[in-house]
Amino acid sequence: MSVKASTSGLIVVGLGEMQVSADPGATLITYALGSCLGVAVYDPVARVGGMLHALLPHIELDPVRARDQPAMFVESGLPALFRACYAQGARKERLVVHLAGAGANTIPERDHFEIGRRNLLMARKLFWKNSILVSGQDVGGNAPRTLSLRMDTGAATVRSAGSSIQL
Amino acid sequence: MSINVLLIDDSAVMRAIALKSLQMSGVPLGTVHQAANGVDGLAVLHQHWVDLILLDVSMPFMRGDEMLEQMRADPALAGTPVVVVTSERGTERVTRMQELGAVHLPKPFTPEQLRDVVRDVTGVRS
Repeated sequence: MSVKASTSGLIVVGLGEMQVSADPGATLITYALGSCLGVAVYDPVARVGGMLHALLPHIELDPVRARDQPAMFVESGLPALFRACYAQGARKERLVVHLAGAGANTIPERDHFEIGRRNLLMARKLFWKNSILVSGQDVGGNAPRTLSLRMDTGAATVRSAGSSIQL
Repeated sequence: MSINVLLIDDSAVMRAIALKSLQMSGVPLGTVHQAANGVDGLAVLHQHWVDLILLDVSMPFMRGDEMLEQMRADPALAGTPVVVVTSERGTERVTRMQELGAVHLPKPFTPEQLRDVVRDVTGVRS
C-alpha cells in the first residue's frame, strides 16, 4: 500500500505503524523514537522507500496484536516493511537500510526490560538471517529522535537534541 | 577481481560468522580456506594463493602473532595482507601484530565493519 503525502510532502509514520511510498515529492518521517526502533529502507533504482516505527521486539509478547498490527513489533514489522516495498517494485539487493532509536531509559535503574537494546538485537538478528547489511544507524543513548527519509534522494536524517545528522 | 581468503580461528563458529559476513559484504570471493591454528594456516599458505588473511590471536599449537612473525620472515608470504580479528585490545601481542602491518578488527564485529575493513585492506569493492 502506498500512501499520498500531505501538501507539505510529509508522510507521518505513527507509533506501531509503517508507510511505503514511491512519490518522489514525499518525505517519510517518524517522531519520538525512544526505545522504539525506526527503520528506513530505500531502493534508489525503483525510487521506492518505506519506514517502520516498531515499539517492541517479539511477537510472542502479543500474537493477536502482531497479526492485526504487525508494525508494532520488530519481528513482524520488518518482514512486512520489506514485503510492502517489494510490492512497489523494490529489490532486496538494492535496498539501503538505516536504523534509528533503540534508546535506553534516562534512568538506568528503570530500564529493567531493556526494550531498546532488544529491539535492536531483533532487527540485527533478522538482517543477519536474511544477509542484509545496514548502511547507517544512530542508536542507543537516551535522547528521543526523529527519523526522516527523502523519497527523491533516499537521504535518511536523524534529528535529536537540537542537532541533525545524515545517516 | 575476486579474492581468496584464509580464515584462521580455533572456533568453528567464529569462522562461520566471518564466512557469512564475507559473503554478505558484496566483495567478490574466490576460494575461502579455513584453518584452526597458525600451523594449519601456514600449511594452507604454502599450498594456495591467498589475497587476505583473517587471523585470530589466541589459538592452540601456534598463536596468531607467532604465525605472523613467521610470515613476515618469509619473502613469499611477507606481503600478504592480514586482519587481526580478536577480542584483545591494546595488548602487547596485538600491538606487535600492528607493527608488523596487520590491521586490527576487534571482536565482536558487525558484518558492516568487516566489509569496510576488507575493502580498505584489499582495495576491492563489490
